[in-house]
Amino acid sequence: MKKIFFLISTIFLFSCQTLPLINSPASLSGQKSFTCPSPFLKQKYRLVHSIETRMAGNTQSAIIGVTLADPFTRSVSCAIITAEGMTLFEAESGPRGIKVRRALPPFDSADFAKNMIDDIKLIFLAPEGKLQAKGRLADGSTACRYQENNGEWIDVTENKSEGTQIKRYTSSGALKRQISFMSTAGNIYQRIELRAKETFDYSLLMTLIEAQPVKTKTFKRK
Amino acid sequence: MQIHRKLSVFVCMAAGFFLIFSQLADSKTNDFEKLRRESANIKTLQADFIQKKSMKILSKPLISEGRFYYAAPDSFRWEYLKPLRSVVMAYKNSTRRFMYSDGKMVEDKMGGAQAMKIVLGEIAGWMNGRFDQNPSFTAAIHEGAVTRITLTPVGKSMGGMIEKIEITLSQKAAAVKSVKIIEDANSFTQINFQNVEINKTIDPLVFQDVK
Repeated sequence: MKKIFFLISTIFLFSCQTLPLINSPASLSGQKSFTCPSPFLKQKYRLVHSIETRMAGNTQSAIIGVTLADPFTRSVSCAIITAEGMTLFEAESGPRGIKVRRALPPFDSADFAKNMIDDIKLIFLAPEGKLQAKGRLADGSTACRYQENNGEWIDVTENKSEGTQIKRYTSSGALKRQISFMSTAGNIYQRIELRAKETFDYSLLMTLIEAQPVKTKTFKRK
Repeated sequence: MQIHRKLSVFVCMAAGFFLIFSQLADSKTNDFEKLRRESANIKTLQADFIQKKSMKILSKPLISEGRFYYAAPDSFRWEYLKPLRSVVMAYKNSTRRFMYSDGKMVEDKMGGAQAMKIVLGEIAGWMNGRFDQNPSFTAAIHEGAVTRITLTPVGKSMGGMIEKIEITLSQKAAAVKSVKIIEDANSFTQINFQNVEINKTIDPLVFQDVK
């Protein structure tokens, strides 16, 4: 019986990952002056990227991605287009949930729309969750940790060598997504790498084609 | 089923390109049989193109540019130069698809080339002027200030992907104007051709070397 308990405990311990330790600033003034990295949109934007999909380090395909994201309403619209101009996927997410307008193979699976919208929000919109920790990682990176309503963790980190990164962990601490903003100057969305830890790991390399702020319509009262 | 739908997409896109060139010999005719006879005169063809993709999510069209080459009976190169570089080449029963990555052209591993190989069978028919014999489309010619050919998908295989394809030809022979691929009320792709050259010698390496 003891052996079984030990075995189960061992499996449980190994299945749980540990989030990187964040050391909070020692002084109160240090805590107050600490600024969290924020690579997120400050206003509604339309962005067009070329996207290379990679598996095992090899480029598999290249497509064009269009994103329309509003940080105030947290609404997102997106589309995937081939170089030839064919729309493979188009969806929007708002207060009423996700609406898929078009989904051709291989983008027509049940979870694809939700995962894609989640990834877009992770890249472009500030976390909705509560700030749980802020400080520095062991490598000196500035780090802020948020916990989402579903229990998942989001770390936003910044250092001189690796730039700004976003990492999303499961509630048990397993890394699921790693976003790296690879542009050191100019538009932070110029070059973005998304690494996904799934059954088959993959990565997306996004290169900005165009970015355009979108004016939000205002209505005057008569 | 997924492969079939994927191929259908390629067929639709390719149809726009190749149908237009099969009409070059005489834009005034409204006789499919006559077009079929005259399309046999095209031995080589090359042109620049500008593609404008319009859809609701875009405030202005997304513009792509490229170049197209064809040599009878079945060699072609369909190349996008920007914003996303990609090339499809067919030569002697071999079809390859490439895209730009990390400073070089790398081969498509997702089966796009295989799909294009099947599409070539369709294209061979179009290049011979048999565009009205493809059971996937209903073809109609409309004469006016410009000649317009409308292709409407038949059956459900194209359902939800392509509403119709409109091809316009100028009244002058060999003056290609445009292809418009309409996906739905909010989304279409307009391809305008320019600098069209017919029966000018093309180096065979164009169909073999991606550079």
